[in-house]
Amino acid sequence: MTERSYVQVDNLRRVFDVSKPWLNRMLEREEKQFLKAVDGVSFDIAKGETFALVGESGSGKSTVARMVVGLLPPSAGGVTIDGVAMAGRTDAAQRQRLRRRIQMIFQDPYASLNPRWRVDRIIAEPIRAFGLLEDDAQIRNRVGELLTLVGLHPDDGRKFPHEFSGGQRQRIAIARALASNAEFIVCDEPTSALDVSVQAQILNLMRDLQDRLGLTYLFISHNLAVVRHMATRIGVMYLGRIVEISGGRELFLAPKHPYTRMLLDAVPDVGMSGRQRIPVKGEIPNPIHPPSGCTFNPRCPFANDRCRREIPPLLGGVACHAVHEGRITIPAAA
Amino acid sequence: MSQPVLSVRDLHVEFVTRRGVLKAIDGISFDIAKGEVLGVVGESGAGKSVTGSAVVGLIDPPGRIAGGEVILSGMRIDNLPPEELRRVRGKRIGMIFQDPLTSLNPLYRVSEQLVETIRTHTNLSSSAARKRAIDLLAEVGIPAPDRRIDSYPHEFSGGMRQRVVIALALCAEPELIIADEPTTALDVSVQAQIITLLKRLGRDHGTAIMLVTHDMGVIAETADRVAVMYAGRIAEIGPVRDVVQNPLHPYAKGLMGAIPSLEVETDRLVQIPGSMPRLSAIPTGCAFNPRCPFAFDRCRVERPEPIQRDLHRVACHLYDETTIRAEALA
Repeated sequence: MTERSYVQVDNLRRVFDVSKPWLNRMLEREEKQFLKAVDGVSFDIAKGETFALVGESGSGKSTVARMVVGLLPPSAGGVTIDGVAMAGRTDAAQRQRLRRRIQMIFQDPYASLNPRWRVDRIIAEPIRAFGLLEDDAQIRNRVGELLTLVGLHPDDGRKFPHEFSGGQRQRIAIARALASNAEFIVCDEPTSALDVSVQAQILNLMRDLQDRLGLTYLFISHNLAVVRHMATRIGVMYLGRIVEISGGRELFLAPKHPYTRMLLDAVPDVGMSGRQRIPVKGEIPNPIHPPSGCTFNPRCPFANDRCRREIPPLLGGVACHAVHEGRITIPAAA
Repeated sequence: MSQPVLSVRDLHVEFVTRRGVLKAIDGISFDIAKGEVLGVVGESGAGKSVTGSAVVGLIDPPGRIAGGEVILSGMRIDNLPPEELRRVRGKRIGMIFQDPLTSLNPLYRVSEQLVETIRTHTNLSSSAARKRAIDLLAEVGIPAPDRRIDSYPHEFSGGMRQRVVIALALCAEPELIIADEPTTALDVSVQAQIITLLKRLGRDHGTAIMLVTHDMGVIAETADRVAVMYAGRIAEIGPVRDVVQNPLHPYAKGLMGAIPSLEVETDRLVQIPGSMPRLSAIPTGCAFNPRCPFAFDRCRVERPEPIQRDLHRVACHLYDETTIRAEALA
């Protein structure tokens, strides 16, 4: 952990109990069943940086996001933001002050805004909740300012969410996130529900705001091209673990882990460069009964006995026995 | 060139609502040749799915086909009586939808659904139909098909379910397959497998495929030709390589620039201001004019008709011979 890291995520774990009801278990003589959604994830984010987590469905990236903002208590491990631990018995008042500086933007702008509230009330809610401004006129000014900041008109505050398109709603969600002067914003698939031309608007807006306000982002997405566009550093997740973590450019120029390579090969690209493709094998296994050893081993062309037995540690930014043993040659970064 | 498998001529689809008639499809024409994959792209509300439904006659009231012709291998099908259309639809056109779970009946085994479909459209015995069903499952890449055939849909994963749906669409050896967002609900690694499969099937069987999707990447990798739709009209249609790498229509240009790329690093994505108009408020003239950086007076009054320009057909006044503006743009 470097001195400058702003967010530290340390060995985060989350287990969900997915057992059948007690009576069924008794009658059917079944054990309790657990799903390890996140299994020992560590990373840190520097101030002003965009750290992205990518992975396919079920890889645990959204669960990490929810634990980082404190919407979900971790089963083990911890999150430290700007020196304050988010879980545990540390100073509660300090944590409350910290919460103001952390906000989240969700995937579905149709579900994340209260349909019965006018937009100005939605955006003013964090201001009132944290008691940042008392005077109504001041609050109204601030809301107008925020609406302008995200590219809407101050008069739009009098409207209801249903009067806006998906992209505009996502702008409202961003304005709400900024209302409490947040510094760290967790974005969980912020553009997945949007059309490409609107997605481009939102991604550009998010980058502009980062430049202007010095925001730090944790950016969750399944879309590798979007991640490449946004992230300074990237963590690739597979079945609850980070399999590779590296700088944004390096990951795309010289992917190390076989899963990362497969994922990059699988993305249909408009560039039509005629890249050499490794055919993709299989699907993500059931996370309730993950494979032993490296969870990627059944789909991996380089798997051997050790991979089926031992969980590879994250060393040098990659969790893969084949890479550590030098069985895979890594293309040199250009 | 032989006659196209599917030929759509000046198709109009309307939805009658209390607030007036909404034109979802406003005069589109295209052909698909044997073994060809035509990609239909556009953002939500462009009318791409309605086009797919209209071709197979699955527009339910209050929607209706208000004009134009749909011709399947030389036979006009849009004016057939419902019963006859149903037979054509099942036998000669296969459909693949976005969500494989809703295309399969959860209460029946996959074997029953496949065998029923095969027997409806061919005169095979039930044991021969079962054998054919197993062959089909093997062809779409389901491992151990002789055992898996007796599973229920919920016992398959998302990708495998989509393979079953594809097998179901292939049952009657259709001439045309309409795939409406077939990979949108799937993860990238599975999506790549399904795309490869669709491409191979089209090639092996000579099936014409109409691939409807919002994902330009999928189109770029799969389609032979692509039609870019905007507000119920085709803005540009042409060979996929040309349209993707050298789009002519300002909307198509913006759309290509808006897509973040894996290969090229860009600081800012191209931004098209505004969003797709609602059907109830389609601008006069060219529907794209309020968002178009090149719009001029004519665009606001006169609707552009498709113009042949090299291999593309583009509906934009900028490319009209009488417009000098095109030269300025180039």
